[in-house]
Amino acid sequence: MEILVTIVIIAIIMAVAVWLFIAKQGDADFEFKVNERTEFKLVDQTEKTATFSCEVAFINKGSQDGTIMDAFPRHLLPYEQFDGVEVNSRMELTTALRTDNYFEAVIIPKGTGGIVIVTVTFTAKTGNIKDALQNLYDLSVDMPIDIVYQIVARTPWYIHKARMIMNCDEINRAMQAKGTAKWEG
Amino acid sequence: MAELELKPVGTRILTDKDNIVDMIEKYTKEDIGPDDVVSVAESVVAITQGRVARPEDFKVCFLAKILCRFVPQKGSLSSVYGMQSLMDAEGKWRVLFAMIIGMFAKIVGKNGVFYELAGSHAALVDDVTGTMPPFDKCLVYGPLEANSVAEEIKRRLGCYGAAVADVNDLKRALVVGASSGLDPKKLAHILIDNPFGNASQRTPIVIIKNYAAVERRTENLLSIE
Repeated sequence: MEILVTIVIIAIIMAVAVWLFIAKQGDADFEFKVNERTEFKLVDQTEKTATFSCEVAFINKGSQDGTIMDAFPRHLLPYEQFDGVEVNSRMELTTALRTDNYFEAVIIPKGTGGIVIVTVTFTAKTGNIKDALQNLYDLSVDMPIDIVYQIVARTPWYIHKARMIMNCDEINRAMQAKGTAKWEG
Repeated sequence: MAELELKPVGTRILTDKDNIVDMIEKYTKEDIGPDDVVSVAESVVAITQGRVARPEDFKVCFLAKILCRFVPQKGSLSSVYGMQSLMDAEGKWRVLFAMIIGMFAKIVGKNGVFYELAGSHAALVDDVTGTMPPFDKCLVYGPLEANSVAEEIKRRLGCYGAAVADVNDLKRALVVGASSGLDPKKLAHILIDNPFGNASQRTPIVIIKNYAAVERRTENLLSIE
């Protein structure tokens, strides 16, 4: 009986020790700093399209290295709200520029981070893009964009979202800065 | 006089739809001589064998969640999926046993015991990010029957020999399979500077030119001395 009790006590002590070890070790903890992003700028324009981009920093503020397995922007502009443009968005690391909207999995050591470029292209469904974005501005339509990212680290994978708002005022400012807008903000 | 020369060979992205021997023949046939040795990256052999798995496809057990915590975080087994893949391949009780013995061995100053006891897969699994797109989001296991693959490459191409190697930029080279007559340690030494390059260079094949000629010359010199 004493042997059994001893074994149980040792097992409990070991379990507590492992639990404490894991708790102290911690895990990766990612944050996309959407509130500190740069303003969207117009980077390309044609008769039918206007392309804007901004930069968003991220950091692994946890105590372990972590891997961003995948990340992409999810724009939300339902036709019920605005039906004048089609939207495409993509995201890329400043350290791994690419235009195929493929996010190559990347290890982010603890305490470090990086910057992603979010690129949004509006295509006018009818007419030209200037008029379409003028209409978007007149209707005061802001477009949420979720940065969706999948993390794997010491714990099983999970998906988080960080939301930013691409508002019509900054679209207007970006168009004006390029001298392409025909309206006053 | 023939000198040893390492010649990386580029390919398109190979997948499980490809036969590795066919692909090596396609991309190297014109460059291969009877004195040459063909080496191929083990992860690419594994990919062509379909030995890849997405983290989302794993059913992670409690033990994997615990044991991965005891692997330094630079290692492929430090993630729950790396550890689970090892347990799936080698058995979770074997991995637990290897971990316990490995810990005790480390306490007395002997490193690497876990990898010796946990099975061949322990050193070969590549965690996510370990290979190039589109396999960067997958774990890649070690290849199956690497020796047989090497023998088949040698037979098909008529070269002096062939090898399947795991090489990285950290000066780590391991020949996991080789055709008969080749010395894996010698080959590993030749490949130590990672002539395969990084993943984005897409050169999973390296031809070791004039291997046999240099070997013969060295043997002759030794016999003269």
